[in-house]
Amino acid sequence: MATDLNSESVIARYLLGELSEEQQVEIEDRAFADHKYLASITAVENDLIDEYVRNELSPAERQRFEKQFLASAERRKRVEFARALTGVIEEQAVPKKIVVRESKSWSWMDSIYAFINGLAPAARIAFVSAVPLLLIGAGYLSIETLRLRRELTETRAANQSQQNSQQQALEVERRRNEELNAQLNQEKQQREQTDESLRELSEAGDAVNPAPRPVIASLTLLPGLSRGGDNKPSLVLPEDARLVRLQVGIDPEEPYKSFGVDLHTSAGSQVWTRENLKARNRRGARAVGLTIPASALKSGEYELRLRGVTESGAAEDVGFYYFNVRKR
Amino acid sequence: MNGRNVAARQKWTLTQEAFDRLLVALGGDRDSAAQKYLEIRTNLVRFFEWRGCSFPEDHADETINRIAKRVAEGEEILNYSGYAVGVARLLLLEINKGRQREQLALAEIGQASEAYEEKDDGEHRLVCLRSCLETLTTDNRALILQYYQGEKGEKIQNRKKLMDQFGIPVNTLRMRALRLREKLQSCVEECVGSA
Repeated sequence: MATDLNSESVIARYLLGELSEEQQVEIEDRAFADHKYLASITAVENDLIDEYVRNELSPAERQRFEKQFLASAERRKRVEFARALTGVIEEQAVPKKIVVRESKSWSWMDSIYAFINGLAPAARIAFVSAVPLLLIGAGYLSIETLRLRRELTETRAANQSQQNSQQQALEVERRRNEELNAQLNQEKQQREQTDESLRELSEAGDAVNPAPRPVIASLTLLPGLSRGGDNKPSLVLPEDARLVRLQVGIDPEEPYKSFGVDLHTSAGSQVWTRENLKARNRRGARAVGLTIPASALKSGEYELRLRGVTESGAAEDVGFYYFNVRKR
Repeated sequence: MNGRNVAARQKWTLTQEAFDRLLVALGGDRDSAAQKYLEIRTNLVRFFEWRGCSFPEDHADETINRIAKRVAEGEEILNYSGYAVGVARLLLLEINKGRQREQLALAEIGQASEAYEEKDDGEHRLVCLRSCLETLTTDNRALILQYYQGEKGEKIQNRKKLMDQFGIPVNTLRMRALRLREKLQSCVEECVGSA
């Protein structure tokens, strides 16, 4: 069947009982399965009721409408409501039409003629003689206005250009401030990490030398080394070393927002852990920097587990790094 | 009257237990089942209205009674909305048969069926409508008056203007107008009834 169920005229025919049983069933099944379609039927129903109360239906439609719509009390109330609504709408619409007609019948020329005709004869002569003078004055004023308007436009253009260059300078300054702030934050974070390590050192009971000059031992760890491999990097730790600086290299494409580290001995006991570490790019490589108190490390083999934290907060293993420590 | 005759013929009546079983069958918790029940009933009332019945509410209740009876007898129903419309169509056939019998009987005794007579409370309804319109916001008042204003072509133009004025698509405009009309009508019925 090729009936367009969305067509308002088909819905209207349904409501007037003009469709076959098969088409009626099709419309009803769709209406009860689709809220939007149900609303369309109600909208067409309201329009039909309005057309009935305004006498816009053909005699045949009117007859069918009365048979279908006036059967139930509920629908009769809707018809009565529509009658009242139409009455109010007509009340609102009438004054508007009058206003529109009045404004159309008067032109500005009519107004001038009416004004001149309304003057006394002497005043009329004086007014007519003053007209050329008024026209000359109006011409002069128009030329002067045009000149001033041009000057104003030029001044505005100059101001706009000045504003644009100021905005560009401000934008450059703003970007530079952002870069400096980012750099400052990075350095602040690094300093906090170092300070914390120092605090751990002093808490470890090095009361004999309350403010030792930190001796730092460094090692860079690269991914891809196995626990059993012979080429594990070694960190030689002097006796007076207070801090160990480890650079843990990672793949530049790693998408994590932060990292965590667990450091274990070969026997599996955890000696150090840290969260919320950021990776930094240095000379084309990407690494996570760690500052570990030297006292945490003894001679032996270590496993460093690097964890990445995703944007959603989930932690994943990024890699395992192995190295040896030799105390001297 | 026909619907009432049909209802009177039914020996089975809805008990609290059968109604509870129907609600359990309709959905998980009682609230959502009640919601579903109301939706089905509203659809049934509309169905009987669309088919030109005199007592759509009574027929909707009779349809639900029949469904509840089937549920009480242990019938398993998968799609209650579709099933309800199916039962309603069967009931409609019975109603139409009864209506035909009634018309024949009326023709024999030379009586016309009760014609619709407009009640003479039109002026009062108009007063109520004016005061109900006052309770709407300026925008909503303008919307409903302009939406339903004018004859066919003019009406379409008015609705296009409203779509531009409020920056909303045709379906949204239609839904707003429908809701406002329903709200206004219940306000008017309440006002007329309270007089």
